[in-house]
Amino acid sequence: MKKLTSAPALFAAAGAFLAAGLLLAFLYAPVDASSMGFSQKIFYYHAPIAETALVAFGIAFVAAILYLRDPDPKWDRLSYVSVRLGLLFSVMVMVTGMIWGKAAWDAWWAWEPRLTTFLIVCFLYTAYFVLRQVVEEESRRATYAAVFAIVAFIDVPITFFATRYMPEGLHPVVIRAGDSGMEGSMFLSFMISMAGMTLLLAALVRADVAAARLKDEIDDLKTRIGG
Amino acid sequence: MGFRQFMAILRKDLIRELRTREMLVSMFLFVMLALVIFHYAFGVDEDTDLTYFTGGMLWVTFIFSALLGLNRSFAQEKDEQCLDGLLLCPVDRVTIFFAKMTGNLVFLLIIQAVSVPVFTLFFIERSYLADIGLFLLVLLLADLGICTIGTLLATISMNTRARDLLLPIVFLPLIVPVLIAAVSATTGIFADGADLGDLAARLGFLAAFDAVFMVAAYGTYDFAIGE
Amino acid sequence: MDASGRDLSDAPLEIEVDGLRKTFGRREVLRGLSFSLERGGFLVMFGPNGAGKTTTLRVLATLLTVGQGSVRVVGHDVREDPMPVRRAVGLISHSPMLYLDLTAYENLRFYADMYGLEDREERITELLERLELSHRRYDVVRTFSKGMRQRLAIARAILHRPRVLLLDEPHSGLDPRAVDILDGLLGEIRDEHTFVMVTHHIQKGLELATRLMIVDGGKIVWEHGAGVAPDTFNSAYREHVQEGSVL
Repeated sequence: MKKLTSAPALFAAAGAFLAAGLLLAFLYAPVDASSMGFSQKIFYYHAPIAETALVAFGIAFVAAILYLRDPDPKWDRLSYVSVRLGLLFSVMVMVTGMIWGKAAWDAWWAWEPRLTTFLIVCFLYTAYFVLRQVVEEESRRATYAAVFAIVAFIDVPITFFATRYMPEGLHPVVIRAGDSGMEGSMFLSFMISMAGMTLLLAALVRADVAAARLKDEIDDLKTRIGG
Repeated sequence: MGFRQFMAILRKDLIRELRTREMLVSMFLFVMLALVIFHYAFGVDEDTDLTYFTGGMLWVTFIFSALLGLNRSFAQEKDEQCLDGLLLCPVDRVTIFFAKMTGNLVFLLIIQAVSVPVFTLFFIERSYLADIGLFLLVLLLADLGICTIGTLLATISMNTRARDLLLPIVFLPLIVPVLIAAVSATTGIFADGADLGDLAARLGFLAAFDAVFMVAAYGTYDFAIGE
Repeated sequence: MDASGRDLSDAPLEIEVDGLRKTFGRREVLRGLSFSLERGGFLVMFGPNGAGKTTTLRVLATLLTVGQGSVRVVGHDVREDPMPVRRAVGLISHSPMLYLDLTAYENLRFYADMYGLEDREERITELLERLELSHRRYDVVRTFSKGMRQRLAIARAILHRPRVLLLDEPHSGLDPRAVDILDGLLGEIRDEHTFVMVTHHIQKGLELATRLMIVDGGKIVWEHGAGVAPDTFNSAYREHVQEGSVL
């Protein structure tokens, strides 16, 4: 089992799925019937990346709770790594979202719920890193970061809800491709991409956590030698 | 005993602030300054009706002035090392949270009691006196959200290096949903008169936000304040 | 035996520390401290700066969490059951922990409420008199001199009649009158109270102690009962404390 879930194996699996997804998206799934046409295909990456980002933040949330119950540095590492990856993926959501927007409606930005939520999510989790940066003492750093990771994750669905249902005026929920039922071939391509993206996250988490642990061990040794 | 302690902390903070007026004065000055700046920022002539924008103006102002107050409320404890004295006492950490939160709420309400009439005078062209009760309810619920999140985060940030910088960075992304709901509800009341359907939704949302984060604060406050 | 010659060997243990370790980030400040103190005992801790003495006091006061090991005060584990510990413990440290913009009365009233004192008003009046601060009762603490602030801090610390008093260099910063008041007070409540004091004041320490300890580098390097002559102590200190271990 260990072999199967090791980082290289996961990366390989992720690569396979993502490549397959790419091929399917371009060669197998039909071109979108609506006005978006070919540019709609970015959806096969945009949506999985978005959902994977949220999964990453969810992992951070759970790891944070576990850390507060039992202050083992491994939970802090997992939380920290997951937030970092989640942030990375979130930035990708914004980028793909903006590319799609430009291609489909000739506008770099629209204040629609998903994009807006992810924008705020980026600010939120960037704040997580600023927080870690300014806490001087390590044990407190992990504790405070955990508290923030918990509160932040709770805020994500709330923010989405607010941006979707609250604002006055015209805020069309433009990106509808995921809502209306997808026909079979589109659905398959989407699910393959989704699986690939999730595997990629798993692989990255594995690799990053291992790297973080290594770094911590080196720092420990340095301190002990340095005296 | 818990109530007696709650009142003791609250009384202490109120006496302190009323005696020195440091926080209140800076918050008040900020609000007045904001008023002037908004007037010039919109760059419109005398006849333009800014009623529709006043909700937004007010809440942005309140949020930033709340930040001023939140920073101060813990800065004093920390600087005079009174936090140790407080933590030595046989008091539930959560009691400390509620007392601090209530104190912040009181100060925010005082500021609002002054700034709302002033902003109304300057910017609002129609009377919303009929809906004043509902308006106050929106105010209270949104304030609760601001003070709950704000107190939790201020507790964390007071122990960090760049505490005045950190608090806005962690606070603002989290408070966006409250901002959206409050502005939407307030603008509705100012501009068109209260629409009970819409308003009920927003009030419900604010109440839910408050409840969720109060529970979150209750669960994590021990970690935020201890060592 | 304590200072008045009573036999303490049967007294219950008020403080039990076993294998206490505490790390701040990467720095291990306490490296396996173990000692116990019976009720009525007076432990004095000496040692260079940074040895971990203040940290130990703060752990006993529940201001710091235990890293590893166990710490029991007045029969309660500080980690599992901190509330009874807090009720029974008073701390006098470098900072007076007073609200500068509140009056002396308001400060004491605050702490009295926090500790749930039944006889709040009488106790406040009694202590202000004892510490010769009655005439400044309604003055804001910001107007107090340093010595007066320390005196008020003593009042704050013993307000709730704690069984265990933790003193972190209590004589530093006190004017001679305040030193007399403090010593007098300590003498009065000596019986039935347990003390842990950190000090650099060797003579006072040796006089008051029923137990002596030198702490260095987070460990106890020397221990002794009461009745140690200053010369003996000085040579022990020189022998066991590493040079240049201050920082």
